[in-house]
Amino acid sequence: MVEKEQEVKVDDMGLVFGKSMIVFTIIGIIMMIVPAILYFVGIRQYIPLADVSKYWGGSAAEFWQHTKGFHVHGYGWIFNNLFYTDTLSMLGVLLLMITPLISMIAAMFKGPTKAYKILLFLAAVEFVISIFFKAG
Amino acid sequence: MFWSIVLFLFTLIIGIISPVSGVGGGVLFVPLSTLIFPFHVDFIRGAGLVMAVTSALSSVPYLTKKGLANIRLFAVLAPIMVITSVVGGFVGLKVTSAFPGGKYYIELMLGAIILLVFAVMMLSKKLEFPDVKEEEMDSWAKSLGLRGAWYEPTLGRVVNFNIKNMKKSAVVFAIIGFIAGMFGLGAGWANVPVLNMLMGAPIKVATATSMLIITANAPAIGIYLTKGAILPSIVIPSVLGITIGARIGAKVAEIIKPVFVRWLVLGILFLAGALNVIKGLQGLGVIPHIIPGG
Repeated sequence: MVEKEQEVKVDDMGLVFGKSMIVFTIIGIIMMIVPAILYFVGIRQYIPLADVSKYWGGSAAEFWQHTKGFHVHGYGWIFNNLFYTDTLSMLGVLLLMITPLISMIAAMFKGPTKAYKILLFLAAVEFVISIFFKAG
Repeated sequence: MFWSIVLFLFTLIIGIISPVSGVGGGVLFVPLSTLIFPFHVDFIRGAGLVMAVTSALSSVPYLTKKGLANIRLFAVLAPIMVITSVVGGFVGLKVTSAFPGGKYYIELMLGAIILLVFAVMMLSKKLEFPDVKEEEMDSWAKSLGLRGAWYEPTLGRVVNFNIKNMKKSAVVFAIIGFIAGMFGLGAGWANVPVLNMLMGAPIKVATATSMLIITANAPAIGIYLTKGAILPSIVIPSVLGITIGARIGAKVAEIIKPVFVRWLVLGILFLAGALNVIKGLQGLGVIPHIIPGG
């Protein structure tokens, strides 16, 4: 079976894309989970766990109004509260969000032809536009 | 703690199904979670999206290495889908603010389209290994070298494949991206049938490449992060479940019989179509409210 698998030639572009994706996905998951474990054991909570389960039945807007007394808009609630474990955990989510972009950029340099380099560059630029658009 | 354990087990199962079917997981997670869990749909959608993207990110490297997830197809389709998804999102905001009830008609139409795709896939032959001859490849597919190969354990040999109808598919993927962006949907339900039936990608290549395309939907996480709709208490058990499940699912996807993949995709399409029809009908008041958050 190993010999048969070696007959399959995968583009370097694909291999680089996959390798960078797995590395940044693992880092993103670790960045998300380690602070979350600290959060679950009660260390430096921005929103106490008891409040979370008390208000998670309401909309996001209602949840923030009840727990912190304000509405959330933008990424400020994460970057202004990085000393808290639950908000620090969101940095991992942010890294996961941009991991495909990192992979596209890495794969771009291994494009087998100019056309693929241009296509991946376009996809990366559009990805960035999409991040800004979807963040409102 | 109870809900965290249930959530972990639930997402573990979805994680196994996801790479096998090529559907991100959100299409199953969101409607079923609104029935099972006490969380508001805002948090379910946020967790569903992080989960769908994480499951794709976790399984794609393995599927790419095996030759199943085709990076060349991704490089061609991603620039089309990402930009049309942004345009769709912009139009969607305008339409929903001008015509709020319209989303129910759209859900109904979307459900009907998914059920139509289900019926077409059900009746189509040779979906497991479509035979696209070199001469059937169009000029775009030929010049971009849109072909590939993978070792199929159930056959005990390497299977080669070619891609056709690249020009038509570019238009179809532009429409899929627009619809997905307009209504905030993932596009796994549409990617697989188009890659398989229109472009001639074998079903396992179609499902794996669909997972690759789903990664381009990652910026949508920003919608939920900027609203504070992603909470560690809900996201962490979901991501752990989906990550472990997706690793298992990626290995299962490699060794599973293509005919099983076909039936799994059909089952998910039927479920997704039926849920959208029900949500649309209940939103319009035609039937009683049976799915929460719809």
